[in-house]
Amino acid sequence: MSFQDIEAGRSFASRRNLINGKQDPTQAVASGIFQINTAVSTFQRLVNTLGTPKDTPELRDKLHKTRLHIGQLVKDTSAKLKQASEIDHNVEVNASKKIADAKLAKDFQAVLKEFQKAQRLSAERETAYTPFVPQALLPSSYTASEVDIGSDKTPEQRALLVESRRQEVLFLDNEISFNEAIIEEREQGIQEIQSQIGEVNEIFKDLAVLVHEQGAMIDDIGSNIEHSHEATAQAKSQLAKASKTQRSNSSLTCLLLVIFGIVLLIVIIVLAA
Amino acid sequence: MGILYALVGRGSVVLAEFSGTTTNASAIARQILEKIPGNNDTHVSYSQDRYIFHVKRTDGLTVLCMADDTAGRRIPFAFLEDIHQKFVRTYGRAVHSAQPYGMNEEFSRVLSQQMEYYSSDPNADRINRLKGEMSQVRNVMIENIDKVLDRGDRLELLVDKTANMQGNTFRFRKQARRFRSTVWWRNVKLTIALIVVLLVIVYVVLAFVCHGPALPSCF
Repeated sequence: MSFQDIEAGRSFASRRNLINGKQDPTQAVASGIFQINTAVSTFQRLVNTLGTPKDTPELRDKLHKTRLHIGQLVKDTSAKLKQASEIDHNVEVNASKKIADAKLAKDFQAVLKEFQKAQRLSAERETAYTPFVPQALLPSSYTASEVDIGSDKTPEQRALLVESRRQEVLFLDNEISFNEAIIEEREQGIQEIQSQIGEVNEIFKDLAVLVHEQGAMIDDIGSNIEHSHEATAQAKSQLAKASKTQRSNSSLTCLLLVIFGIVLLIVIIVLAA
Repeated sequence: MGILYALVGRGSVVLAEFSGTTTNASAIARQILEKIPGNNDTHVSYSQDRYIFHVKRTDGLTVLCMADDTAGRRIPFAFLEDIHQKFVRTYGRAVHSAQPYGMNEEFSRVLSQQMEYYSSDPNADRINRLKGEMSQVRNVMIENIDKVLDRGDRLELLVDKTANMQGNTFRFRKQARRFRSTVWWRNVKLTIALIVVLLVIVYVVLAFVCHGPALPSCF
């Protein structure tokens, strides 16, 4: 019996060492779920682009690769989740870890459902729309070859190129000013939040000072009550002693009365005789 | 007030629009659609009286809204981005071949809902939501300060009362000690009186037995 217990303990210890040696399955599952979430967001963004002028064969190919990537991630995370679940059943782990694993399983189910929804939408749109082949591809390559033969460019074409470049610069300036305005507005909002956080900080400091002062008051109250307790205890003992002395006084008084009674009786008898 | 008018168009063709008030925003919006230069993706804002027209053009689709000048730019452009995504997700490629006002029956309701959401719901903007939450925290902390001050006042009262109680118990102890002393002295006096009475009785008995006050027969 005792040898069997020792053997069982050793096997548990070795198993726990093995578990600690490799990566924690719960952490691995959490990391996998995070990666799946990120990949599903990317996939949804690509699906939203289907049916727009940006819908190109390259986009379809990227969509396909992303889908395969998500499938692989789901397979890996599912295996890790199963492993973590087995550990929960075999080894007596604490309740918080079981709760964390159950929560991870629920998160995994949620992200799988979202991926299936996005996948269905993707299939729907892939059949509804054909990829948009940009017409500018051929002129673009022609323009590149045109640039390669720069010496043959006519002054008119060169002026047109300069004009196009100037419009592009104007467009970029417009975008820059727009983004700067957005950033400035966001900065103002963040400044307000910062000032509010500063106010809350001051309030917390004031609260700390008040609580500290009241701590001193409570200490005073405590000492007052302790002193009152001691004084009351001493007074109680004094009163007890006084009570005992008073009982003795009563006895002495009775004794004196009895003696006086006897003396009076004797005197009366003597006088009567 | 927030966003008052919204419009979705392709080039200069209006596909859907919604107006929250009776203004000439529609006419001005059409002028802006025709006036926007170039064909590139762009973000621009035009000012008109107290209102600002924010325009966002992406992938050949133009989304426009008219907002109060107090609404800033971040929320109107977030609104435009949201409308653009919803429109593309709903209609897809059909945008490029649609008739004027082809989507107005369905999408004007979406425009109305989103205008309401971005105009009045603080959750539409993360910074505004954070600002609201910080205001709540500040209010709660101010209440906490008030409650702690009340607690301080009561603690001061309690300090005074316990100090009084301490003084009273000291006085009680002193009086108890004095009472014990008084009772002890009374006991002492009674004991002495008893001894004296006993001595007197013994003397009288001896005087009687020895036949005289000076006890002549015994000595």
